[in-house]
Amino acid sequence: MQMKGVYPEIVPGRKIFKTLVTRLFFFTVGMGMQTAYRIDPDVRREIDSLPETFSFLMAVVGGPSMLMLKRDGAFRYLGEKEGFHADVELWFKNIEYAYLVMTGRISVPNAVYHFRQFVRGSLTDAMAIIRVMNITQTLLLPNFISRFYIKEVPPLTLRKLKNRAITYFNVGYGAIRQPFQSSEGGMP
Amino acid sequence: MIFRKKDVMQEYYEFFNSVKIVSGYRALENIPFELSRLGARKPIIITDKGITNAGLIKHVVGSFAGTDAKIGAIYDDTPQDSSSHVVNEIARIYRRNGCDSIIAVGGGSAIDTAKGVNIVITEDTDDLLRFMGNYRLNKPMKPFIVIPTTAGTGSEVTMAAVIADPDRKLKMQFTSDLLLPRLAVLDPRMTMSMPPKITAATAMDALTHAVEAYIGPQKNPVSDCFAIAAIELIQANLVNAIKNPDDRDTRLAMANAALLAGLAFSNSMVGIVHACAHAIGGICHVPHGIANSIMLPHGLEFYIEKSPRVKARTKAHIEKLLLSLRGPEEYVKTPAERRAQASVAAIREISREMGALADMPASLRQAAVPEDRLEEIARAALNDGAIAFSPVEVGYDEALRVLKAAW
Repeated sequence: MQMKGVYPEIVPGRKIFKTLVTRLFFFTVGMGMQTAYRIDPDVRREIDSLPETFSFLMAVVGGPSMLMLKRDGAFRYLGEKEGFHADVELWFKNIEYAYLVMTGRISVPNAVYHFRQFVRGSLTDAMAIIRVMNITQTLLLPNFISRFYIKEVPPLTLRKLKNRAITYFNVGYGAIRQPFQSSEGGMP
Repeated sequence: MIFRKKDVMQEYYEFFNSVKIVSGYRALENIPFELSRLGARKPIIITDKGITNAGLIKHVVGSFAGTDAKIGAIYDDTPQDSSSHVVNEIARIYRRNGCDSIIAVGGGSAIDTAKGVNIVITEDTDDLLRFMGNYRLNKPMKPFIVIPTTAGTGSEVTMAAVIADPDRKLKMQFTSDLLLPRLAVLDPRMTMSMPPKITAATAMDALTHAVEAYIGPQKNPVSDCFAIAAIELIQANLVNAIKNPDDRDTRLAMANAALLAGLAFSNSMVGIVHACAHAIGGICHVPHGIANSIMLPHGLEFYIEKSPRVKARTKAHIEKLLLSLRGPEEYVKTPAERRAQASVAAIREISREMGALADMPASLRQAAVPEDRLEEIARAALNDGAIAFSPVEVGYDEALRVLKAAW
Protein backbone atom coordinates (compact mmCIF):
# COMPACT_ATOMS: atom_id res chain seq x y z
CA MET A 1 0.00 0.00 0.00
CA GLN A 2 1.32 3.44 -0.91
CA MET A 3 2.20 5.67 2.06
CA LYS A 4 0.43 9.00 2.19
CA GLY A 5 2.58 11.77 0.70
CA VAL A 6 5.09 9.36 -0.84
CA TYR A 7 5.13 9.14 -4.63
CA PRO A 8 7.66 6.48 -5.67
CA GLU A 9 8.89 6.09 -9.22
CA ILE A 10 6.99 3.41 -11.11
CA VAL A 11 9.06 0.96 -13.09
CA PRO A 12 6.83 -0.66 -15.73
CA GLY A 13 6.94 -4.44 -16.14
CA ARG A 14 8.67 -6.14 -19.07
CA LYS A 15 6.77 -7.88 -21.82
CA ILE A 16 9.09 -10.86 -22.02
CA PHE A 17 6.85 -13.24 -23.96
CA LYS A 18 5.79 -10.69 -26.57
CA THR A 19 9.39 -9.55 -27.00
CA LEU A 20 10.48 -13.16 -27.46
CA VAL A 21 7.80 -13.81 -30.09
CA THR A 22 8.80 -10.64 -31.93
CA ARG A 23 12.48 -11.56 -31.77
CA LEU A 24 11.66 -15.02 -33.15
CA PHE A 25 9.64 -13.45 -35.98
CA PHE A 26 12.46 -11.06 -36.84
CA PHE A 27 14.93 -13.94 -36.90
CA THR A 28 12.66 -16.01 -39.16
CA VAL A 29 11.98 -13.13 -41.55
CA GLY A 30 15.67 -12.17 -41.60
CA MET A 31 16.85 -15.69 -42.40
CA GLY A 32 13.96 -16.00 -44.86
CA MET A 33 15.02 -12.84 -46.71
CA GLN A 34 18.61 -14.02 -46.79
CA THR A 35 17.51 -17.34 -48.33
CA ALA A 36 14.98 -15.71 -50.66
CA TYR A 37 17.76 -13.60 -52.19
CA ARG A 38 19.60 -16.79 -53.10
CA ILE A 39 16.71 -18.81 -54.51
CA ASP A 40 14.05 -16.42 -55.79
CA PRO A 41 14.82 -14.49 -59.00
CA ASP A 42 12.26 -11.75 -58.20
CA VAL A 43 13.86 -11.08 -54.82
CA ARG A 44 17.33 -11.10 -56.38
CA ARG A 45 16.23 -8.58 -59.02
CA GLU A 46 14.76 -6.27 -56.38
CA ILE A 47 17.79 -6.40 -54.10
CA ASP A 48 20.24 -6.08 -57.00
CA SER A 49 18.50 -2.84 -58.00
CA LEU A 50 19.45 -1.35 -54.60
CA PRO A 51 22.85 0.25 -54.01
CA GLU A 52 25.82 -1.82 -52.77
CA THR A 53 26.04 -1.81 -48.93
CA PHE A 54 22.31 -1.12 -48.78
CA SER A 55 21.00 -1.80 -45.28
CA PHE A 56 17.50 -2.50 -44.03
CA LEU A 57 16.42 -2.39 -40.41
CA MET A 58 13.12 -3.64 -39.02
CA ALA A 59 12.68 -2.76 -35.37
CA VAL A 60 10.35 -2.01 -32.51
CA VAL A 61 10.82 1.37 -30.82
CA GLY A 62 12.69 0.48 -27.61
CA GLY A 63 12.59 -3.22 -28.47
CA PRO A 64 14.08 -5.95 -30.66
CA SER A 65 15.33 -5.36 -34.19
CA MET A 66 16.75 -7.11 -37.22
CA LEU A 67 19.30 -5.79 -39.68
CA MET A 68 19.88 -6.89 -43.27
CA LEU A 69 22.92 -5.81 -45.25
CA LYS A 70 23.65 -6.15 -48.95
CA ARG A 71 27.36 -6.84 -49.44
CA ASP A 72 29.63 -8.98 -51.63
CA GLY A 73 26.81 -10.48 -53.70
CA ALA A 74 24.69 -11.50 -50.71
CA PHE A 75 21.84 -10.07 -48.69
CA ARG A 76 22.80 -11.02 -45.16
CA TYR A 77 20.83 -11.19 -41.95
CA LEU A 78 23.00 -9.65 -39.24
CA GLY A 79 20.72 -10.03 -36.24
CA GLU A 80 20.32 -7.14 -33.83
CA LYS A 81 22.68 -4.18 -34.14
CA GLU A 82 22.08 -1.47 -31.62
CA GLY A 83 21.94 2.13 -32.84
CA PHE A 84 22.51 1.27 -36.51
CA HIS A 85 21.17 3.87 -38.95
CA ALA A 86 20.03 1.91 -41.98
CA ASP A 87 19.11 3.18 -45.46
CA VAL A 88 15.54 2.01 -44.97
CA GLU A 89 14.08 1.49 -41.52
CA LEU A 90 10.68 -0.05 -40.81
CA TRP A 91 9.67 0.74 -37.23
CA PHE A 92 6.84 -0.65 -35.13
CA LYS A 93 5.73 2.05 -32.72
CA ASN A 94 5.57 -0.38 -29.78
CA ILE A 95 5.87 -4.06 -28.91
CA GLU A 96 2.09 -4.53 -28.75
CA TYR A 97 1.69 -3.52 -32.40
CA ALA A 98 4.59 -5.74 -33.41
CA TYR A 99 3.07 -8.65 -31.48
CA LEU A 100 -0.31 -8.17 -33.16
CA VAL A 101 1.38 -8.40 -36.55
CA MET A 102 3.63 -11.33 -35.58
CA THR A 103 0.65 -13.33 -34.40
CA GLY A 104 -1.30 -12.60 -37.59
CA ARG A 105 -4.01 -10.55 -35.93
CA ILE A 106 -3.13 -7.54 -38.08
CA SER A 107 -1.84 -7.87 -41.60
CA VAL A 108 1.43 -6.11 -42.46
CA PRO A 109 -0.30 -3.76 -44.97
CA ASN A 110 -2.90 -2.88 -42.32
CA ALA A 111 -0.17 -2.08 -39.80
CA VAL A 112 1.19 0.46 -42.28
CA TYR A 113 -2.25 1.82 -43.19
CA HIS A 114 -3.10 2.35 -39.54
CA PHE A 115 0.21 4.06 -38.75
CA ARG A 116 1.21 1.28 -36.37
CA GLN A 117 4.40 1.06 -38.41
CA PHE A 118 6.35 3.81 -40.09
CA VAL A 119 9.08 3.93 -42.68
CA ARG A 120 12.19 6.01 -42.25
CA GLY A 121 14.35 6.60 -45.33
CA SER A 122 13.84 6.45 -49.07
CA LEU A 123 10.29 5.47 -50.02
CA THR A 124 11.39 4.10 -53.38
CA ASP A 125 13.85 1.71 -51.73
CA ALA A 126 11.21 0.89 -49.12
CA MET A 127 8.85 -0.19 -51.92
CA ALA A 128 11.44 -2.71 -53.13
CA ILE A 129 11.90 -4.01 -49.58
CA ILE A 130 8.15 -4.36 -49.05
CA ARG A 131 7.92 -6.44 -52.24
CA VAL A 132 10.82 -8.59 -51.02
CA MET A 133 9.12 -9.08 -47.65
CA ASN A 134 5.89 -10.08 -49.39
CA ILE A 135 7.69 -12.76 -51.42
CA THR A 136 9.59 -13.91 -48.33
CA GLN A 137 6.36 -14.32 -46.40
CA THR A 138 4.89 -16.48 -49.16
CA LEU A 139 8.00 -18.67 -48.82
CA LEU A 140 7.77 -18.85 -45.05
CA LEU A 141 4.05 -19.35 -44.56
CA PRO A 142 1.37 -21.60 -46.04
CA ASN A 143 -0.97 -19.73 -48.37
CA PHE A 144 -3.94 -19.83 -45.99
CA ILE A 145 -1.84 -17.94 -43.40
CA SER A 146 -0.02 -15.70 -45.90
CA ARG A 147 -3.27 -14.02 -46.82
CA PHE A 148 -3.33 -12.41 -43.38
CA TYR A 149 0.03 -10.82 -44.02
CA ILE A 150 -0.06 -9.68 -47.62
CA LYS A 151 -2.66 -8.23 -49.96
CA GLU A 152 -2.71 -10.96 -52.59
CA VAL A 153 -1.20 -14.42 -52.31
CA PRO A 154 0.31 -15.85 -55.52
CA PRO A 155 -0.84 -19.36 -56.55
CA LEU A 156 1.07 -22.30 -55.13
CA THR A 157 3.43 -23.94 -57.65
CA LEU A 158 5.86 -26.84 -57.47
CA ARG A 159 8.74 -24.39 -57.63
CA LYS A 160 7.28 -22.44 -54.73
CA LEU A 161 6.99 -25.63 -52.66
CA LYS A 162 10.63 -26.49 -53.41
CA ASN A 163 11.76 -22.96 -52.46
CA ARG A 164 9.67 -23.14 -49.32
CA ALA A 165 11.42 -26.37 -48.28
CA ILE A 166 14.83 -24.74 -48.84
CA THR A 167 13.75 -21.71 -46.81
CA TYR A 168 12.55 -23.87 -43.90
CA PHE A 169 15.82 -25.77 -43.93
CA ASN A 170 17.89 -22.58 -43.93
CA VAL A 171 15.84 -20.95 -41.17
CA GLY A 172 16.15 -24.13 -39.07
CA TYR A 173 19.87 -24.44 -39.78
CA GLY A 174 20.35 -20.75 -38.95
CA ALA A 175 18.49 -21.23 -35.66
CA ILE A 176 20.89 -24.00 -34.64
CA ARG A 177 24.00 -22.19 -35.84
CA GLN A 178 23.21 -18.67 -34.73
CA PRO A 179 21.51 -18.44 -31.33
CA PHE A 180 19.44 -15.34 -30.79
CA GLN A 181 21.45 -12.33 -29.89
CA SER A 182 19.77 -10.25 -27.25
CA SER A 183 20.45 -6.61 -26.84
CA GLU A 184 18.41 -3.62 -25.83
CA GLY A 185 16.65 -1.89 -28.71
CA GLY A 186 17.37 1.73 -29.49
CA MET A 187 15.05 4.61 -30.02
CA PRO A 188 14.49 5.90 -33.56
CA MET B 1 -7.89 -8.21 -37.69
CA ILE B 2 -8.36 -11.89 -38.48
CA PHE B 3 -11.06 -12.53 -35.92
CA ARG B 4 -12.87 -9.29 -36.50
CA LYS B 5 -16.54 -9.82 -37.36
CA LYS B 6 -18.00 -6.32 -37.52
CA ASP B 7 -17.18 -3.64 -40.01
CA VAL B 8 -18.45 -0.64 -38.11
CA MET B 9 -15.41 1.58 -38.64
CA GLN B 10 -11.63 1.45 -38.80
CA GLU B 11 -10.26 -0.58 -35.90
CA TYR B 12 -7.51 2.02 -35.44
CA TYR B 13 -6.49 5.26 -37.10
CA GLU B 14 -4.38 8.33 -36.58
CA PHE B 15 -5.05 11.80 -37.94
CA PHE B 16 -2.72 14.73 -37.64
CA ASN B 17 -2.70 18.23 -39.03
CA SER B 18 -1.52 21.25 -37.13
CA VAL B 19 -1.93 23.94 -39.79
CA LYS B 20 -3.98 26.97 -38.81
CA ILE B 21 -6.28 27.97 -41.66
CA VAL B 22 -7.21 31.57 -42.41
CA SER B 23 -9.70 31.72 -45.27
CA GLY B 24 -11.71 34.55 -46.76
CA TYR B 25 -11.69 37.87 -48.52
CA ARG B 26 -8.75 40.04 -47.36
CA ALA B 27 -7.39 37.09 -45.39
CA LEU B 28 -3.87 38.20 -46.39
CA GLU B 29 -4.21 41.24 -44.12
CA ASN B 30 -4.01 38.87 -41.16
CA ILE B 31 -0.47 37.73 -41.93
CA PRO B 32 1.50 40.33 -39.90
CA PHE B 33 -0.61 39.57 -36.82
CA GLU B 34 -0.18 35.83 -37.25
CA LEU B 35 3.57 36.31 -37.76
CA SER B 36 3.81 38.26 -34.51
CA ARG B 37 2.05 35.39 -32.72
CA LEU B 38 4.75 33.09 -34.08
CA GLY B 39 7.45 35.44 -32.76
CA ALA B 40 8.55 36.56 -36.23
CA ARG B 41 8.59 39.93 -37.97
CA LYS B 42 10.93 39.64 -40.95
CA PRO B 43 9.89 36.91 -43.42
CA ILE B 44 11.44 36.04 -46.74
CA ILE B 45 8.85 35.65 -49.50
CA ILE B 46 9.46 32.78 -51.93
CA THR B 47 7.52 32.93 -55.15
CA ASP B 48 7.98 32.81 -58.93
CA LYS B 49 8.01 35.26 -61.83
CA GLY B 50 4.48 34.30 -62.91
CA ILE B 51 3.10 35.43 -59.55
CA THR B 52 5.09 38.68 -59.59
CA ASN B 53 4.13 39.45 -63.18
CA ALA B 54 0.47 38.78 -62.45
CA GLY B 55 0.69 41.44 -59.74
CA LEU B 56 -0.29 39.01 -56.99
CA ILE B 57 2.71 39.70 -54.79
CA LYS B 58 1.59 43.29 -54.30
CA HIS B 59 -1.41 42.02 -52.32
CA VAL B 60 0.98 40.22 -49.95
CA VAL B 61 3.35 43.19 -49.65
CA GLY B 62 0.38 45.50 -49.14
CA SER B 63 -0.80 43.44 -46.17
CA PHE B 64 2.38 44.49 -44.29
CA ALA B 65 1.66 48.21 -44.67
CA GLY B 66 1.00 49.98 -41.40
CA THR B 67 2.58 47.25 -39.26
CA ASP B 68 6.01 46.99 -37.64
CA ALA B 69 6.83 43.81 -39.58
CA LYS B 70 9.24 43.98 -42.53
CA ILE B 71 9.75 41.83 -45.58
CA GLY B 72 13.32 40.50 -45.46
CA ALA B 73 13.48 39.73 -49.19
CA ILE B 74 11.32 38.61 -52.11
CA TYR B 75 12.79 35.75 -54.13
CA ASP B 76 10.83 35.32 -57.36
CA ASP B 77 13.18 33.20 -59.46
CA THR B 78 11.78 29.86 -58.32
CA PRO B 79 11.77 27.53 -61.36
CA GLN B 80 8.87 25.28 -62.36
CA ASP B 81 10.62 22.26 -60.79
CA SER B 82 12.17 23.17 -57.45
CA SER B 83 15.86 22.30 -57.19
CA SER B 84 18.48 22.06 -54.44
CA HIS B 85 20.53 24.83 -56.09
CA VAL B 86 17.65 27.29 -55.76
CA VAL B 87 16.97 26.13 -52.20
CA ASN B 88 20.59 26.82 -51.18
CA GLU B 89 20.59 30.18 -52.95
CA ILE B 90 17.43 31.28 -51.10
CA ALA B 91 18.88 30.04 -47.80
CA ARG B 92 21.92 32.28 -48.36
CA ILE B 93 19.64 35.31 -48.92
CA TYR B 94 17.64 34.37 -45.81
CA ARG B 95 20.78 34.32 -43.65
CA ARG B 96 22.36 37.40 -45.23
CA ASN B 97 19.21 39.51 -44.73
CA GLY B 98 18.57 38.30 -41.20
CA CYS B 99 15.13 36.84 -41.96
CA ASP B 100 13.28 34.93 -39.25
CA SER B 101 10.43 33.22 -41.11
CA ILE B 102 9.32 32.02 -44.55
CA ILE B 103 6.27 32.84 -46.66
CA ALA B 104 5.64 30.76 -49.77
CA VAL B 105 3.40 32.32 -52.39
CA GLY B 106 2.57 30.12 -55.37
CA GLY B 107 1.82 26.56 -56.44
CA GLY B 108 3.53 23.29 -55.64
CA SER B 109 7.01 24.38 -56.77
CA ALA B 110 7.25 27.55 -54.66
CA ILE B 111 5.80 25.74 -51.64
CA ASP B 112 8.14 22.73 -51.99
CA THR B 113 11.12 25.08 -52.47
CA ALA B 114 10.13 26.95 -49.30
CA LYS B 115 9.89 23.64 -47.41
CA GLY B 116 13.40 22.82 -48.66
CA VAL B 117 14.69 26.22 -47.51
CA ASN B 118 13.18 25.59 -44.10
CA ILE B 119 15.08 22.28 -43.85
CA VAL B 120 18.37 23.90 -44.92
CA ILE B 121 17.97 26.81 -42.46
CA THR B 122 16.75 24.72 -39.53
CA GLU B 123 19.29 21.92 -39.93
CA ASP B 124 22.05 24.42 -40.82
CA THR B 125 23.19 22.43 -43.83
CA ASP B 126 23.65 22.84 -47.56
CA ASP B 127 23.17 19.19 -48.38
CA LEU B 128 19.48 18.32 -48.53
CA LEU B 129 20.25 14.73 -49.50
CA ARG B 130 21.10 13.91 -45.88
CA PHE B 131 17.49 14.53 -44.94
CA MET B 132 15.82 12.81 -47.89
CA GLY B 133 13.08 10.30 -47.19
CA ASN B 134 10.56 9.75 -44.44
CA TYR B 135 10.98 11.11 -40.94
CA ARG B 136 14.63 12.17 -41.25
CA LEU B 137 13.98 15.57 -39.65
CA ASN B 138 14.05 16.15 -35.91
CA LYS B 139 14.27 19.87 -35.19
CA PRO B 140 11.28 22.23 -35.01
CA MET B 141 11.19 24.37 -38.13
CA LYS B 142 11.15 28.13 -38.62
CA PRO B 143 7.73 29.84 -38.78
CA PHE B 144 6.36 29.00 -42.22
CA ILE B 145 3.29 30.46 -43.94
CA VAL B 146 1.81 29.31 -47.23
CA ILE B 147 -0.38 31.34 -49.57
CA PRO B 148 -1.49 29.05 -52.40
CA THR B 149 -2.15 30.62 -55.79
CA THR B 150 -3.56 27.46 -57.33
CA ALA B 151 -6.43 25.37 -56.03
CA GLY B 152 -5.20 21.82 -56.37
CA THR B 153 -2.02 20.56 -54.77
CA GLY B 154 -3.12 21.00 -51.17
CA SER B 155 0.60 21.53 -50.37
CA GLU B 156 -0.40 24.20 -47.85
CA VAL B 157 -1.53 21.43 -45.49
CA THR B 158 0.68 18.50 -46.47
CA MET B 159 3.89 17.25 -44.90
CA ALA B 160 5.75 16.33 -48.08
CA ALA B 161 8.06 18.11 -50.51
CA VAL B 162 9.78 17.00 -53.70
CA ILE B 163 13.00 18.77 -54.70
CA ALA B 164 15.29 17.87 -57.59
CA ASP B 165 19.04 17.44 -57.15
CA PRO B 166 20.37 18.33 -60.63
CA ASP B 167 23.95 17.25 -59.81
CA ARG B 168 22.98 13.75 -58.75
CA LYS B 169 20.03 13.65 -61.22
CA LEU B 170 17.70 12.72 -58.39
CA LYS B 171 14.21 13.70 -57.22
CA MET B 172 14.45 13.93 -53.46
CA GLN B 173 11.26 13.33 -51.48
CA PHE B 174 10.94 14.65 -47.94
CA THR B 175 8.17 13.63 -45.58
CA SER B 176 7.84 14.79 -42.01
CA ASP B 177 5.10 16.37 -39.94
CA LEU B 178 7.68 19.04 -39.08
CA LEU B 179 7.38 20.28 -42.67
CA LEU B 180 3.78 21.33 -42.12
CA PRO B 181 3.32 25.09 -42.42
CA ARG B 182 2.14 26.94 -39.32
CA LEU B 183 -0.44 28.87 -41.31
CA ALA B 184 -2.31 28.50 -44.62
CA VAL B 185 -3.90 31.67 -45.98
CA LEU B 186 -6.65 31.33 -48.60
CA ASP B 187 -7.54 34.65 -50.18
CA PRO B 188 -9.64 34.57 -53.38
CA ARG B 189 -7.58 37.41 -54.87
CA MET B 190 -4.65 35.01 -55.13
CA THR B 191 -6.40 32.47 -57.39
CA MET B 192 -8.53 34.75 -59.58
CA SER B 193 -5.93 35.16 -62.30
CA MET B 194 -5.58 31.41 -62.90
CA PRO B 195 -6.31 30.59 -66.56
CA PRO B 196 -9.08 28.05 -67.31
CA LYS B 197 -6.76 25.15 -68.16
CA ILE B 198 -4.80 25.48 -64.92
CA THR B 199 -8.03 25.96 -62.95
CA ALA B 200 -9.39 22.74 -64.46
CA ALA B 201 -6.17 20.73 -64.06
CA THR B 202 -5.57 21.75 -60.45
CA ALA B 203 -9.22 21.13 -59.55
CA MET B 204 -9.01 17.63 -61.04
CA ASP B 205 -5.87 17.11 -58.95
CA ALA B 206 -7.83 18.10 -55.84
CA LEU B 207 -10.74 15.85 -56.86
CA THR B 208 -8.31 12.94 -57.26
CA HIS B 209 -6.83 13.62 -53.81
CA ALA B 210 -10.29 13.58 -52.26
CA VAL B 211 -11.52 10.49 -54.13
CA GLU B 212 -8.39 8.42 -53.47
CA ALA B 213 -8.36 9.47 -49.81
CA TYR B 214 -12.02 8.45 -49.49
CA ILE B 215 -11.65 4.98 -51.01
CA GLY B 216 -8.13 4.17 -49.75
CA PRO B 217 -7.29 1.70 -46.98
CA GLN B 218 -6.08 4.49 -44.67
CA LYS B 219 -9.43 6.26 -44.71
CA ASN B 220 -10.86 7.20 -41.35
CA PRO B 221 -13.90 9.15 -40.14
CA VAL B 222 -11.95 12.43 -39.94
CA SER B 223 -10.33 12.20 -43.39
CA ASP B 224 -13.72 11.13 -44.81
CA CYS B 225 -15.29 14.40 -43.63
CA PHE B 226 -12.63 16.45 -45.41
CA ALA B 227 -12.74 14.30 -48.56
CA ILE B 228 -16.51 14.47 -48.91
CA ALA B 229 -16.59 18.21 -48.23
CA ALA B 230 -13.93 18.70 -50.91
CA ILE B 231 -15.78 16.59 -53.50
CA GLU B 232 -19.03 18.45 -52.89
CA LEU B 233 -17.35 21.86 -53.18
CA ILE B 234 -15.60 20.86 -56.42
CA GLN B 235 -18.79 19.40 -57.89
CA ALA B 236 -20.75 22.55 -57.03
CA ASN B 237 -18.18 25.16 -58.10
CA LEU B 238 -15.74 23.86 -60.69
CA VAL B 239 -17.69 24.71 -63.83
CA ASN B 240 -18.52 28.18 -62.51
CA ALA B 241 -14.86 28.80 -61.60
CA ILE B 242 -13.98 28.29 -65.27
CA LYS B 243 -16.96 30.12 -66.76
CA ASN B 244 -16.79 33.04 -64.29
CA PRO B 245 -13.15 33.31 -63.23
CA ASP B 246 -13.74 36.64 -61.45
CA ASP B 247 -16.37 35.23 -59.11
CA ARG B 248 -14.48 35.47 -55.84
CA ASP B 249 -16.89 33.27 -53.86
CA THR B 250 -16.39 30.45 -56.32
CA ARG B 251 -12.63 30.93 -56.27
CA LEU B 252 -12.63 30.82 -52.47
CA ALA B 253 -14.76 27.67 -52.54
CA MET B 254 -12.30 25.98 -54.92
CA ALA B 255 -9.30 27.03 -52.80
CA ASN B 256 -11.05 25.54 -49.77
CA ALA B 257 -11.86 22.36 -51.69
CA ALA B 258 -8.17 21.91 -52.55
CA LEU B 259 -7.18 22.52 -48.93
CA LEU B 260 -9.79 20.06 -47.63
CA ALA B 261 -8.65 17.44 -50.13
CA GLY B 262 -5.07 18.08 -48.95
CA LEU B 263 -6.12 17.55 -45.33
CA ALA B 264 -7.79 14.29 -46.34
CA PHE B 265 -4.97 12.80 -48.39
CA SER B 266 -2.19 13.84 -46.04
CA ASN B 267 -3.73 11.40 -43.56
CA SER B 268 -5.29 8.85 -45.91
CA MET B 269 -2.80 8.29 -48.68
CA VAL B 270 -3.52 8.20 -52.39
CA GLY B 271 -3.16 5.03 -54.50
CA ILE B 272 -2.74 3.71 -58.05
CA VAL B 273 -4.01 6.89 -59.76
CA HIS B 274 -1.33 9.04 -58.16
CA ALA B 275 1.36 6.40 -58.56
CA CYS B 276 0.68 6.38 -62.32
CA ALA B 277 0.34 10.19 -62.48
CA HIS B 278 3.69 10.68 -60.72
CA ALA B 279 5.33 8.27 -63.17
CA ILE B 280 3.67 9.92 -66.20
CA GLY B 281 4.80 13.34 -64.97
CA GLY B 282 8.32 12.14 -64.26
CA ILE B 283 8.83 10.42 -67.62
CA CYS B 284 6.68 12.40 -70.07
CA HIS B 285 6.37 15.73 -68.20
CA VAL B 286 2.57 15.72 -68.30
CA PRO B 287 1.25 18.20 -65.68
CA HIS B 288 0.22 16.37 -62.54
CA GLY B 289 -3.42 17.54 -62.58
CA ILE B 290 -3.90 16.47 -66.19
CA ALA B 291 -2.32 13.06 -65.56
CA ASN B 292 -4.58 12.58 -62.52
CA SER B 293 -7.64 13.66 -64.47
CA ILE B 294 -6.92 11.06 -67.18
CA MET B 295 -6.01 8.24 -64.77
CA LEU B 296 -8.76 8.70 -62.15
CA PRO B 297 -11.64 6.85 -63.89
CA HIS B 298 -9.31 4.08 -65.03
CA GLY B 299 -7.89 3.63 -61.53
CA LEU B 300 -11.40 3.36 -60.09
CA GLU B 301 -12.42 0.84 -62.75
CA PHE B 302 -9.36 -1.24 -61.86
CA TYR B 303 -10.45 -1.31 -58.21
CA ILE B 304 -14.02 -2.21 -59.16
CA GLU B 305 -12.80 -5.01 -61.40
CA LYS B 306 -10.61 -6.43 -58.61
CA SER B 307 -13.19 -5.92 -55.88
CA PRO B 308 -15.31 -9.05 -56.18
CA ARG B 309 -12.24 -11.19 -55.54
CA VAL B 310 -10.14 -9.05 -53.26
CA LYS B 311 -11.72 -6.05 -51.59
CA ALA B 312 -15.47 -5.71 -51.75
CA ARG B 313 -15.08 -2.83 -49.29
CA THR B 314 -13.28 -0.63 -51.84
CA LYS B 315 -16.14 -1.04 -54.28
CA ALA B 316 -18.58 -0.07 -51.53
CA HIS B 317 -16.61 3.15 -50.94
CA ILE B 318 -16.70 3.94 -54.67
CA GLU B 319 -20.47 3.36 -54.60
CA LYS B 320 -20.84 5.86 -51.77
CA LEU B 321 -18.98 8.48 -53.81
CA LEU B 322 -22.09 8.72 -55.98
CA LEU B 323 -23.87 10.46 -53.13
CA SER B 324 -21.41 13.36 -53.20
CA LEU B 325 -20.95 13.38 -56.96
CA ARG B 326 -24.63 13.24 -58.02
CA GLY B 327 -26.63 14.02 -54.89
CA PRO B 328 -29.05 11.92 -52.83
CA GLU B 329 -31.85 11.69 -55.43
CA GLU B 330 -29.63 10.23 -58.11
CA TYR B 331 -28.03 7.93 -55.54
CA VAL B 332 -31.37 6.49 -54.49
CA LYS B 333 -32.56 6.13 -58.09
CA THR B 334 -29.46 4.17 -59.11
CA PRO B 335 -29.66 0.43 -58.38
CA ALA B 336 -27.07 -0.61 -55.78
CA GLU B 337 -25.21 -2.88 -58.21
CA ARG B 338 -24.70 0.00 -60.67
CA ARG B 339 -23.63 2.71 -58.22
CA ALA B 340 -19.89 2.09 -58.50
CA GLN B 341 -20.01 2.36 -62.30
CA ALA B 342 -22.26 5.42 -61.97
CA SER B 343 -19.63 7.10 -59.75
CA VAL B 344 -16.99 6.50 -62.42
CA ALA B 345 -19.38 7.83 -65.08
CA ALA B 346 -19.94 10.98 -63.00
CA ILE B 347 -16.19 11.57 -62.79
CA ARG B 348 -15.85 10.94 -66.54
CA GLU B 349 -18.55 13.54 -67.12
CA ILE B 350 -16.60 16.12 -65.08
CA SER B 351 -13.45 15.29 -67.09
CA ARG B 352 -15.38 15.61 -70.37
CA GLU B 353 -16.77 18.97 -69.30
CA MET B 354 -13.25 20.13 -68.44
CA GLY B 355 -12.18 18.97 -71.89
CA ALA B 356 -14.87 21.08 -73.53
CA LEU B 357 -14.41 24.17 -71.33
CA ALA B 358 -10.68 24.17 -70.73
CA ASP B 359 -9.20 21.99 -73.46
CA MET B 360 -8.12 19.25 -71.06
CA PRO B 361 -6.87 16.06 -72.75
CA ALA B 362 -9.06 13.01 -72.14
CA SER B 363 -6.46 10.31 -72.78
CA LEU B 364 -2.74 9.75 -72.45
CA ARG B 365 -2.50 9.80 -76.24
CA GLN B 366 -4.05 13.26 -76.33
CA ALA B 367 -1.61 14.32 -73.60
CA ALA B 368 1.24 13.37 -76.00
CA VAL B 369 2.41 10.33 -74.03
CA PRO B 370 4.12 7.98 -76.52
CA GLU B 371 2.68 4.45 -76.41
CA ASP B 372 6.14 2.91 -76.35
CA ARG B 373 6.87 4.56 -73.00
CA LEU B 374 3.93 2.98 -71.17
CA GLU B 375 6.07 0.03 -70.01
CA GLU B 376 8.64 2.38 -68.51
CA ILE B 377 5.84 4.32 -66.82
CA ALA B 378 4.35 1.11 -65.39
CA ARG B 379 7.73 0.13 -63.88
CA ALA B 380 8.16 3.61 -62.37
CA ALA B 381 4.62 3.53 -60.94
CA LEU B 382 5.43 0.32 -59.05
CA ASN B 383 8.30 2.11 -57.30
CA ASP B 384 6.14 5.04 -56.27
CA GLY B 385 5.31 5.21 -52.56
CA ALA B 386 1.60 5.70 -53.33
CA ILE B 387 1.26 2.18 -54.76
CA ALA B 388 1.75 0.72 -51.26
CA PHE B 389 -1.52 2.39 -50.30
CA SER B 390 -3.53 0.88 -53.11
CA PRO B 391 -6.23 -1.26 -51.48
CA VAL B 392 -5.37 -4.09 -53.87
CA GLU B 393 -2.03 -5.50 -54.93
CA VAL B 394 -0.80 -3.97 -58.19
CA GLY B 395 1.65 -5.90 -60.35
CA TYR B 396 3.52 -4.76 -63.44
CA ASP B 397 1.02 -6.33 -65.86
CA GLU B 398 -1.90 -4.73 -64.06
CA ALA B 399 -0.29 -1.27 -63.95
CA LEU B 400 0.46 -1.59 -67.67
CA ARG B 401 -3.12 -2.67 -68.40
CA VAL B 402 -4.52 0.39 -66.57
CA LEU B 403 -2.12 2.68 -68.45
CA LYS B 404 -3.02 1.11 -71.80
CA ALA B 405 -6.71 1.61 -71.05
CA ALA B 406 -5.97 5.29 -70.32
CA TRP B 407 -3.96 5.64 -73.54
